[in-house]
Amino acid sequence: MLVAAGVAGLVVAMSLMIVRAMIGPSHYDRILAANSFGTKTVLLIALMGFLFGRPDFLDIALVYALINFVTTIALMKFFRYRTLARPLGAMAREAGKDG
Amino acid sequence: MSGPTIDANFALNIALLLMLVAIAFAVVRTRSLLAAILMMSVYSLASAAWLMVADAADVAFTEAVVGAGASTVILLGAILLARGEAERVNWKLMIAPGALAVVVGAVLIYAAGGLPNYGDPASPANSHVGRAYLEQTYGDIGAPNVVTAVLASYRGFDTLGETVVIFAACIGVALMLGFGPRATLAPPTEIPNDQHVVLRVVAKLLIPLIALFALYVQFHGDLGAGGGFQAGVIMAVAIILHALVFGLRATMAAVPVRLARTVAALGVVVYAGVGVVCIINGGGFLDYDYLFSPRIEAMIPANLLGDPSHEHHWGQHFGILFIEIGVLLTVSATIVTMFYGFAGRTLETIEAERRG
Repeated sequence: MLVAAGVAGLVVAMSLMIVRAMIGPSHYDRILAANSFGTKTVLLIALMGFLFGRPDFLDIALVYALINFVTTIALMKFFRYRTLARPLGAMAREAGKDG
Repeated sequence: MSGPTIDANFALNIALLLMLVAIAFAVVRTRSLLAAILMMSVYSLASAAWLMVADAADVAFTEAVVGAGASTVILLGAILLARGEAERVNWKLMIAPGALAVVVGAVLIYAAGGLPNYGDPASPANSHVGRAYLEQTYGDIGAPNVVTAVLASYRGFDTLGETVVIFAACIGVALMLGFGPRATLAPPTEIPNDQHVVLRVVAKLLIPLIALFALYVQFHGDLGAGGGFQAGVIMAVAIILHALVFGLRATMAAVPVRLARTVAALGVVVYAGVGVVCIINGGGFLDYDYLFSPRIEAMIPANLLGDPSHEHHWGQHFGILFIEIGVLLTVSATIVTMFYGFAGRTLETIEAERRG
């Protein structure tokens, strides 16, 4: 019952995230909503694994967490630098001419 | 399953499908391409969650890694080469395609009424071929994951075709984007003075773990969800993360473009090579029972995979393993080539300017 309530709460939270991603208004809101939606998907799948008695769902939850991290970095990098090619951080100043 | 579980399943189905409809409308409505890509990434996550509810773990896996991971990053690279907003289309031009979409949708909904119930054991798909696969797979092949067994062994020829299609995509992207600079969206002139220490350290920690996870998915494919396709994309995502954080130049030094293209071809060769070896040993193409000659098969220790009393199908086991490695090579190299093709444009522009 507790797990089912958790799933229901997550579904509500995911719906709210979709609303935020739709109405924006800025791209930052959308990125935050998308990232948060991904986190909630990870939780949902982990909980579903318990609900349906399938602990191997955790493998898939794990892959979502990893993928979501990479996607968010790509989005933020695109947003700040308008390129995916340039290195981030200290190396950026040395090789800053890379574009 | 008990009563409440089925109800929860049904409610989850409805909730996730409604979410998918809402996101699809939002993607169509927005004119900002960045917002559209974001919503499509959310769409992939939601549809993958729904596929998990439908108990299609392998498909959900693919949807998550391809839809939410690789394609989002590649699409971001693509809008670097385009303007950030879709053009406003005159509504009169939308009438005919809109009407067509409505008609096709109505036909599909009408046809859906004739489909057998979800999970109906008497449906054609479950009563003939599907049941035969479920009953015979463990005896024929010895792989617990029937999806992998069907994909890699029973229908190995189809999967070879799919791998070739992916390789063709690699060639297409390399031909279209691999030559000549054509960037249109200039990077900001002043470079922000960011450190990103946390990001760099976390990425350094995470890249080997993602690669390790890809290998786990690869070698666990015949036991649980996953296989060469998913593992290949996860491996490519690890390389993409390296490029995002440490720069494309550093990544191209580690994984050169030429290497990526070679590996993409090599994967197809490995896959088809397994089939040819089966022919040489007296079987049909991709008939893994003939992968090893009896002399080699006798050399495999019986306790290689634990339990020696259980009868193993070594040819099937290693055949699936080898072709999955071929798939992994082609898929990962193709995704990396695509990423290089899109993300490398601005870098190539500057290189070309320096040379010229």
